[in-house]
Amino acid sequence: MTTEPVGGRALDTFGALISDTFQEARARWLFWGLFGLSTLLILIFLFVLKIDLVEGAISILGIERTAQAVSIQAFVRKSYSFISMFLYVWGTLLAIFASSGLIPSVLEPGRIALLLSKPVSRPILILGRYVGNVLVIALNHIYLVGAIWIIIGIKTHIWEPRFLLAIPSCLFIFSVLLCMVTLIGVVTESAALSVMVTVALMVISAILAQRQFVMRLLSSEWSRDLWRALYWIFPKFYDLATVMMHSILFDRNVEWITPLWTSTAFALVTLFGALFIFSRRDF
Amino acid sequence: MNAEYAIETVQLGKTYVSRFRGRKIPAVSDLSLRVPVGVKFGLLGPNGAGKTTFVKMLLSAVHPSSGSAFLFGRNSEEPEARRPVGYLPENHRFPTYLTGNGMLDFYSALSGLSHTERKRRVPELLELVGLRDWGDVRIKKYSKGMLQRLGLAQALIHRPRLLILDEPTDGVDPVGRRHIRDILDGLTGTGVTVFINSHLLGEVAAFCDYAAIVDKGRLVLEGKISSLTAGRGYRIAVSNLSEQGLANLRQAGAVIVASTAGLEVQAATCEQANQFIDVIRAAGALVESVEVSSSSLEDVFIRATQTGKAA
Repeated sequence: MTTEPVGGRALDTFGALISDTFQEARARWLFWGLFGLSTLLILIFLFVLKIDLVEGAISILGIERTAQAVSIQAFVRKSYSFISMFLYVWGTLLAIFASSGLIPSVLEPGRIALLLSKPVSRPILILGRYVGNVLVIALNHIYLVGAIWIIIGIKTHIWEPRFLLAIPSCLFIFSVLLCMVTLIGVVTESAALSVMVTVALMVISAILAQRQFVMRLLSSEWSRDLWRALYWIFPKFYDLATVMMHSILFDRNVEWITPLWTSTAFALVTLFGALFIFSRRDF
Repeated sequence: MNAEYAIETVQLGKTYVSRFRGRKIPAVSDLSLRVPVGVKFGLLGPNGAGKTTFVKMLLSAVHPSSGSAFLFGRNSEEPEARRPVGYLPENHRFPTYLTGNGMLDFYSALSGLSHTERKRRVPELLELVGLRDWGDVRIKKYSKGMLQRLGLAQALIHRPRLLILDEPTDGVDPVGRRHIRDILDGLTGTGVTVFINSHLLGEVAAFCDYAAIVDKGRLVLEGKISSLTAGRGYRIAVSNLSEQGLANLRQAGAVIVASTAGLEVQAATCEQANQFIDVIRAAGALVESVEVSSSSLEDVFIRATQTGKAA
């Protein structure tokens, strides 16, 4: 057997797993479906959405402002932050639907046995899939957000690079939620259940984030403690969206560290759980 | 553990536990087996005997409940232990979105072949299994026999020292079966250990040097096929046997089969053969010939699995 040094071999193996994920995404039409829907959205921005900048007055999304009434720069930023919020929700949902089948498909009998017979550790098999999945979605996010940024830039002549923060923001929350998709996929081998649980997680996380309001409604201390505990445990889907919007608006007072580390902790625990269960399972 | 053995298992066992009732279902029990390097070994057993579970434990797809499995002296749970192994699973499901070239490239990358080596080996292996012109075709268009040959190419591409084949000719037509057999015959003398898990006794008998029979998760018989099937009985060719002689033989417990040359009396032991010969001669019939007959592997298999002990 002619083989490469161990480091090169490991990279080759990881590369092969990532490339396989791309090929499967393409063959299942997920790749083209995602890019098709993104293109549709880009075309809407390009042809349908009215954005005009004439002699110091700007109109975006049907709202008009003049230079006298408000800073045009600030107005564009605000518009960007709303658009980014829309892309955050839309892009994440789309990405979860597209990714849900990619873990269960690997676990099909007859396919997994052959993969496990190779000199590759079980965690690497799953991590290769995970990273491949994130890269597929990253490409789509770069395409979607980048194209919209260019369109708005050309139409308004205002180039606001902070809008591009939507790319890492969307990708980060997707990577966190993909850990849950992976966990459910590894445990149940069901794509549908992966979607159901992950979307439920998004919704519950958004509800839990309304804690200031809910605390006033809860009558007992233990229920408030439970709410707080759940809020800290769950990923911060809503809070991270708020962080993204405020970052685009140049708001320096936004608290971003807590949502970031708690969501990262959730992702790590969930992913390690998935890897642990996958390593222990019989196929 | 000893690296002289391609496969060595020590009291290997697997008990499945049903999820809700917690009922224990033993699939493999205390199975100790040694497969020397370079031999062709057949694993036989009725359906549900635990053969596939055993093979999956060798490849670490199933974790043993007890005991250990070693490949060339390394614990099979270590990924590196599986590097010299080529495997063709039963009921495989190769990714249908890949072409023949893509599939071989993917699995050989996982087996640790370098990019340059893969570029060279993929066409070589496609040629070997007779799929040279199919490399660029998606494998969803392949027939069952072609898929099986492609699977064999996948198992051989990294020049394994141990080839584990789970029902390699299952569902393949006779021509395809012959092709697979020719490819495997080509490995003779190369030092590659071939381990075949099959229910096709004729195939194992024709190809393998050694066999083990597993029944209800336990090893019931193991050895060289030539030893297992040797010296199992006697055939006595008889002519001019009267009706009375025939009745006397039947009374003595002989199995009598009509053959083209007359009658054939079958005896299980040397003593029995002599006793039958006495009866035949007393009846005034002629003993045309006496032959030591060897059992077929099928006879050995049936005896082993019906009695649950060595035949």
